Amino acid sequence: MLIEVQGVTKTFVSRGGEQVVALAETTLDVQQGEFLTLIGPSGCGKSTLLRMLAGLVEPTSGRIVWQGTAPARGSEVGFVFQEPVLLPWLSVLDNVRFPLDTFGVDRRAGDEAARQTLELVGLKDFARALPKELSGGMKQRAAIARALVYKPRLVLMDEPFSALDLLTRDRMNDELLAIRAEVGATIVFVTHSVEEAAYLSDRVAVMSARPGQIRTIHTIDLPAPRGEAVKDLPAFHAWLSQLRRDLR
Amino acid sequence: MSLHPRAIMMLVTPAVLIGLWWLYTVAFAIPPYLLPPPQAVATELWRLFAGGSIWPHLGHTLGIIAAGFVLGSAGGLALGFVLAKLPAVERLVAPYLLFLQTAPKIALAPLFILWFGLGLTSKIVLTVSLVFFPVMVGTILGLRSLPPMMSELCSILRLTPAQRFFRVELPSAVPEIFSGLKVGAVQATIGAILSEWLSGGTGLGYLMVFAGTTYKAPLLFAMVVVTALLGIAVYQVLVLSEKWLLSWR
Repeated sequence: MLIEVQGVTKTFVSRGGEQVVALAETTLDVQQGEFLTLIGPSGCGKSTLLRMLAGLVEPTSGRIVWQGTAPARGSEVGFVFQEPVLLPWLSVLDNVRFPLDTFGVDRRAGDEAARQTLELVGLKDFARALPKELSGGMKQRAAIARALVYKPRLVLMDEPFSALDLLTRDRMNDELLAIRAEVGATIVFVTHSVEEAAYLSDRVAVMSARPGQIRTIHTIDLPAPRGEAVKDLPAFHAWLSQLRRDLR
Repeated sequence: MSLHPRAIMMLVTPAVLIGLWWLYTVAFAIPPYLLPPPQAVATELWRLFAGGSIWPHLGHTLGIIAAGFVLGSAGGLALGFVLAKLPAVERLVAPYLLFLQTAPKIALAPLFILWFGLGLTSKIVLTVSLVFFPVMVGTILGLRSLPPMMSELCSILRLTPAQRFFRVELPSAVPEIFSGLKVGAVQATIGAILSEWLSGGTGLGYLMVFAGTTYKAPLLFAMVVVTALLGIAVYQVLVLSEKWLLSWR
């Protein structure tokens, strides 16, 4: 086990002074090396839960316990946002090396690690390009490279492909599986899409809104390694129906 | 060699306008003290530059522009940074700043002369007061316009406040800061010339007043040309440095 989420809640105070429960008491384990997806409608607190795992949001009550030492430096958590959030004045290579620069890693080691990670995401030939010269899918690949370059113990992804067209999204899903097989990272992934959830995940936590909570957790028993062929399996379609039912 | 159509237009349009101007002064026998013909203005410009009498005046004006622009920008950047970082302070001082910002600085000019005398100081103070606000507003806008996800990225990576500012916030704010600097540069030119109108015996502004009060229309027109070109030149310097700094856009 990597992380235990122990009875965590989050309450925001709205402008009118009203208390809004973003996340009701939630308990969840994140296993070492697993691909865990949080799926649910808007307002179910999946983004809040993800941001708590990242340390961006403090729980109102409850605890998040890391196995071993709690993350001391940013280098323990990688985060991929809905948008690429690349620094537009830096080249792709400099963007990917950026975390290492801020951690004080020396330039040569940083360049080496950044180049390896760019190769992993298939952007080796675009190291010198500026973000504006990349397509949406390529920008998001650079963002993934930036989140992986410092080998974090946990990679968090907040609807990373939701802004991409369907074809690009399918390709990015396959690439994400390949990248994961290569680096063996633990990933917590947030999505609206049942297809994405069933195709990518080892486990899917289905959440519901008002108040936000985890309704049920499924272990997706589809064969690995996953690929296009999996999408033709009756079991895959059974999972899609199951997840749709849960979300209703 | 073939000329680009735009280059041809850039030569033809002023030539046509000058031609019309000349035709008008000749056809209607306009007295030169009202509207001097173009060749009289050209002769005057030649006399000013070839004779060298304009250089001290031009230098004086450029000096005030430079001093006012540098000091006003530095102040605008500094206060803009403080206000962007401390919203509580901004709420406290915003009404007074708005009052100062909207007050016509020309109306304040006599006050500056009263306080700082007829010399260089009051001229620079007037110019600073014109440059300060657009730069401050640009700085606040720029620092505030950081996308929330960018700010989250800084937190994820646990950047120190200094890293956050110099590596992320300041570079992202550069486009807005430059919009402020460009407005500030044009204002500095206006401020410098205006301040020379009001007092002193040197500078392009002084030459304009001198030409106007002594009915030297060709000199006055020459000065209009020189100050307009000066304004364009000052603006272009900023546009070029912006292009160089923002080549990633």
